[in-house]
Amino acid sequence: MKRLCLVCQNVDCKNRGSEEIMNELERRVAEKGLADLEVRPYMCFGACQEGPNIVLYPEKSWYAGVKKEDLDDILSHISGGQEVKMLDTIDSSLKELIYQLLDTGVF
Amino acid sequence: MEGILFPRGVAEGKESLKEYRARGGYGALEMALRELSPARVLQEVIDSGLRGRGGAGFPTGRKWAFTAESAEQPHYLVLNGGEDEPGSKKDRLLMENLPHLVLEGVILAAYAVRASRAYLYINANYKNAIQNMTGALQEAGKAGYWGERVLGCDFSLELPIAPAPPDYVAGEDTAALEVIEKKDPLPRQKPPYPATAGLFGKPTAVNNVETLANVPLIIARGAKWYRSIGTRESPGTMIFSLGEEVKRPGIYELAFGTPLRFLIEECGGGTRDDKPIKAVLPGGPSSAFLPPEKIDLPLDHDSLRAAGSSIGCGVVRLITAGSCVVEETLRIAEFFAAESCGQCPACRMETNILATMLKKVQQGQGGAPILEQFQKVIEFNKGKGFCNLVNMPGPPIESALKLFRSDFEFHLANGRCPEA
Repeated sequence: MKRLCLVCQNVDCKNRGSEEIMNELERRVAEKGLADLEVRPYMCFGACQEGPNIVLYPEKSWYAGVKKEDLDDILSHISGGQEVKMLDTIDSSLKELIYQLLDTGVF
Repeated sequence: MEGILFPRGVAEGKESLKEYRARGGYGALEMALRELSPARVLQEVIDSGLRGRGGAGFPTGRKWAFTAESAEQPHYLVLNGGEDEPGSKKDRLLMENLPHLVLEGVILAAYAVRASRAYLYINANYKNAIQNMTGALQEAGKAGYWGERVLGCDFSLELPIAPAPPDYVAGEDTAALEVIEKKDPLPRQKPPYPATAGLFGKPTAVNNVETLANVPLIIARGAKWYRSIGTRESPGTMIFSLGEEVKRPGIYELAFGTPLRFLIEECGGGTRDDKPIKAVLPGGPSSAFLPPEKIDLPLDHDSLRAAGSSIGCGVVRLITAGSCVVEETLRIAEFFAAESCGQCPACRMETNILATMLKKVQQGQGGAPILEQFQKVIEFNKGKGFCNLVNMPGPPIESALKLFRSDFEFHLANGRCPEA
């Protein structure tokens, strides 16, 4: 299975530009030729106040409040670089809930 | 017992003004305007213990008191005929066949809450209901039952019709207010409640059609008589809807407290092909499934709540042998996902995720721990919406998982139904 870069597309994240971010990510992932990774919309991660939210799976890295300027760092992580800890502001119980859902195949 | 809304069985065809008056119709209104103050009418409804028939079961008189006693002016009333619950046709039938009974209830309620305008908010797909209510309005207007100085008294009332979009969420009381204000049918955050700050920010009583149809009977015959029917906490009758799972589908008016078995066996004639009952969904898609052992449960608010379910607006569905609970639960989850207005992120997340999860289970995808996740998703989102829709998908899923866990496990392992 491909690695997934899930980008929330629920109302709040979308209002904050998550569709543009998803398109930009898709474009740059294709540009870099990262064939093992798929950028995919996700219905909601439940962290609406902190969007736009992105989750990398199976790495289980959470990026919240993502702006276009952050995409360089995120892409560097995707390509094997360091995780961007600064963007992980999410409560651990919510992370556990979402990661468990992803583990059980709810995409 | 005989029904009180339908004293001669479920009404057939539209009742004219002449027919309605011949059986005492508008007598309650004439008497009230002659002899009772608005406060006295309100008190009678409080004393009757009448509870809302739209699903929540809130005491009608108490709701009216907030509006009636508000110093803000003007006051409004809304007849909520935005009915769009799957399987429910009771409000439609009342408006189509007994439009004058409904109208007399509206006028009495407007008098009690001191409203000068009452909107008749009716599902736009209910063409006959709109037509018959319009016809009844004309007849009643000519007879002086509404308009300027009703029956010569110091009480005037306008009665405009407002078509309701045929969406589930448009039946929610604050969504109805938005539509009447010419906006999209999106529920408002509560508080403030419509009773004190509703239509155009003014005090507004919003009542279900069946609720208001009870009012002329209460005023004509008194709270004490009304309380002699039904149970202490749920006085009067309720209209129940039965679907194709029974031999005689239809709507039945029964006193509160009548056993579920009576509705299914005596009214519905038992299940089609006499199939054994696997589960009962007693109050529409947002109620919890009951096991067949609960068939002698009395149909009233408290008994169903004590059994972990709810009476909703009286749509009773049966799951019989050969039908799959997993499929049924998935259909319900997909219904809520489709009907969520999308305004509140938590509701959109929850309804979509639950439907996706159930689809996975149905198709035999996803690991066994998925069954443990439902409760967590439901808990996480509880109460996080403007309206109650966010709380609705939980009860059927939680109860189905509890009662039929092995069916879910079988689906997950085999991607098909154990009944197939």
